Amino acid sequence: MIDDSRPIFLQIAELIENDIVDGALAEESQVPSTNEFAAFYRINPATAAKGVNRLVDDGILYKKRGIGMFVAAGARSRLVAQRRDDFFREYVQPMTREARKLGISTAQLTEMLHRTESTSDMTEGSVSR
Amino acid sequence: MNRVVNVARMQLINKWTFLGIPAIIMVSAFLITLAIWAMIPASGETFYSGASQAVMWYFMALGIQSLTLTFPFSQAMSVSRRTFYIGTVGLFATVALAISVLYYLLGLVEVATNGWGFNGQLYALDWIATEHAVVQILFYFIAMVALFMIGFWFATIYKRWQATGMLVTWIAIAVVLIGLLGLTSWQGWWPVVGQWFVAQTPLSVSGWVALFCAVLAGGSYLTLRRATP
Amino acid sequence: MNNPTTPAAIELRQVTKTYRDATALDNVSLRLEGNRIYGLLGRNGAGKTTLMSVLTGQGFQTSGEALVFGQHPYENDGVLSRICFIRESQRYPEDFSAQRAFKSASLFFKHWDQAFADQLVEEFQLPLKRRIKKLSRGQLSAVGVIIGLASRAEITFFDEPYLGLDAVARQIFYDRLVEDFAAHPRTIILSSHLIDEVANLLEHVVLIDRGRIILDDDAEAIRGTAVTVAGNASAVQSFAAGREVLHRESLGSLASWTVEGRMTNAERAEAAELGLELAPVSLQQLVVRKTMAATDAVLDTDSELEVLK
Repeated sequence: MIDDSRPIFLQIAELIENDIVDGALAEESQVPSTNEFAAFYRINPATAAKGVNRLVDDGILYKKRGIGMFVAAGARSRLVAQRRDDFFREYVQPMTREARKLGISTAQLTEMLHRTESTSDMTEGSVSR
Repeated sequence: MNRVVNVARMQLINKWTFLGIPAIIMVSAFLITLAIWAMIPASGETFYSGASQAVMWYFMALGIQSLTLTFPFSQAMSVSRRTFYIGTVGLFATVALAISVLYYLLGLVEVATNGWGFNGQLYALDWIATEHAVVQILFYFIAMVALFMIGFWFATIYKRWQATGMLVTWIAIAVVLIGLLGLTSWQGWWPVVGQWFVAQTPLSVSGWVALFCAVLAGGSYLTLRRATP
Repeated sequence: MNNPTTPAAIELRQVTKTYRDATALDNVSLRLEGNRIYGLLGRNGAGKTTLMSVLTGQGFQTSGEALVFGQHPYENDGVLSRICFIRESQRYPEDFSAQRAFKSASLFFKHWDQAFADQLVEEFQLPLKRRIKKLSRGQLSAVGVIIGLASRAEITFFDEPYLGLDAVARQIFYDRLVEDFAAHPRTIILSSHLIDEVANLLEHVVLIDRGRIILDDDAEAIRGTAVTVAGNASAVQSFAAGREVLHRESLGSLASWTVEGRMTNAERAEAAELGLELAPVSLQQLVVRKTMAATDAVLDTDSELEVLK
């Protein structure tokens, strides 16, 4: 769950984002409090708060005074769009660059993609919709 | 001030230490003394007993324990050394005063009952029983405080400098005493010293011991101020 | 920034403590803000307990200044009453049971929570009436942990609180610490050498070695600042070129180096291309590496001095 590779607050923010993207946390539903996150993941409450506040700053979550933290309307589609951008930058671009190096044409690449889809029974992932 | 009172309350959490055990010592010393007197055939002479001292020696042991174990704990309770000192010595003084008054009252009973029916002297010792009530109480009180302070200071010295500190202290005391004895002999002061001792009254003895206590109290406080738990 | 109107919870200015033949604290300056959980990390004998003793007025510095809430703690009841420090080797009165120790604590700590203490007694399965000197090492630690937690003091020091506690009891301690800190924010200073267990609880880390502070930073800033690179020795060497190397290990043609610095995606890609594996370095490993690097540095200077002689 939590590892040592990166700051914990980033990991907490990502865990919440994942829950929003895969629908575990619906829009307008209440998010656990930072203290609940801290207790659950056994992390420093200030660190948990930093992760949650990052999402508040990004407009993914919003605060209701005296009640708690909620998922903003439209948060899921924004996260999905953002992740599609990331996907393009982190996977597609390097892949096509490598393909060029190996002399694979766009048509061949597309054909390969079709082939993987038919051979490995891919489940509906969070990025393919 | 509140914390000083709390130090006394902390010392009293175990009622036995400051109240129960002294009470047991006093009662049992009294009963054992009476039993002994009852067994000895009456010869018309006065019986003397030092059993009333027993509780005073217990207070010396208590002084040692207060410092070696209760002091480190008081530090964990975030109590300053000064507060610990005032609270502990204050509690002790209160208990000592109560016992002193009790000794005085027991002395009155002793005289009234012809030495508990045995012509014995346990509390109303010849030398002081004729003095004023205040002087009698003061005498007992000062004696008890002196013993507690001796225990307390020696424990403080041990705490700070361990066995070496004790050794040095004892050697120093011995050297001073031997020096004084030597000086007295050399100067031929013994008659004067003898007269001085004979001339002492319970009140003047109390005064001297009180002076001694003040030195001990000051010394133990200064030592405690630099003690670590 | 030194703001005179709001003094730091804790401040040390050039504090040195020397014993007859050893330097326990060597010119330590440190400033800790309130309401955080700090990890005071270091090897046994590094100076952790001495540091806490000076801050609580239980011990004395040889020189320098220690301030708590902007005041000297020594013989200062006003400041002391806001602090709780139970030593790892805490001594209790001869006739004391845990119950009596808690009764005392309730007299002196104004935020003492008896219900919380009762709950902890239950969870640690601590015998209340047994004399403290007859308790096991773990139970003795539990007494200190319970006083520390239930006192809710504004600054609470935990001095190696887990000694003798089993894994379950340690987890109970960490869980209750996080929960109670969340509900009642205060300054917690946790001295420990079991770093992996507490790493995620800490907001800030102070690493002390041979009486010197060798690391003083937010835990989040430290996390991910070093990486272990493993693979072919020459590839590792070229990848590590120009970086601070904290540790080197090798086995035949294979090498595993710990290097400082956060990896960018480009660097990760570069490592992958060289056929190298990158592994995160835990806070504990980082602390061990840093301490060992500092020790090496000290040894180097020492040997240089030897040469000069």
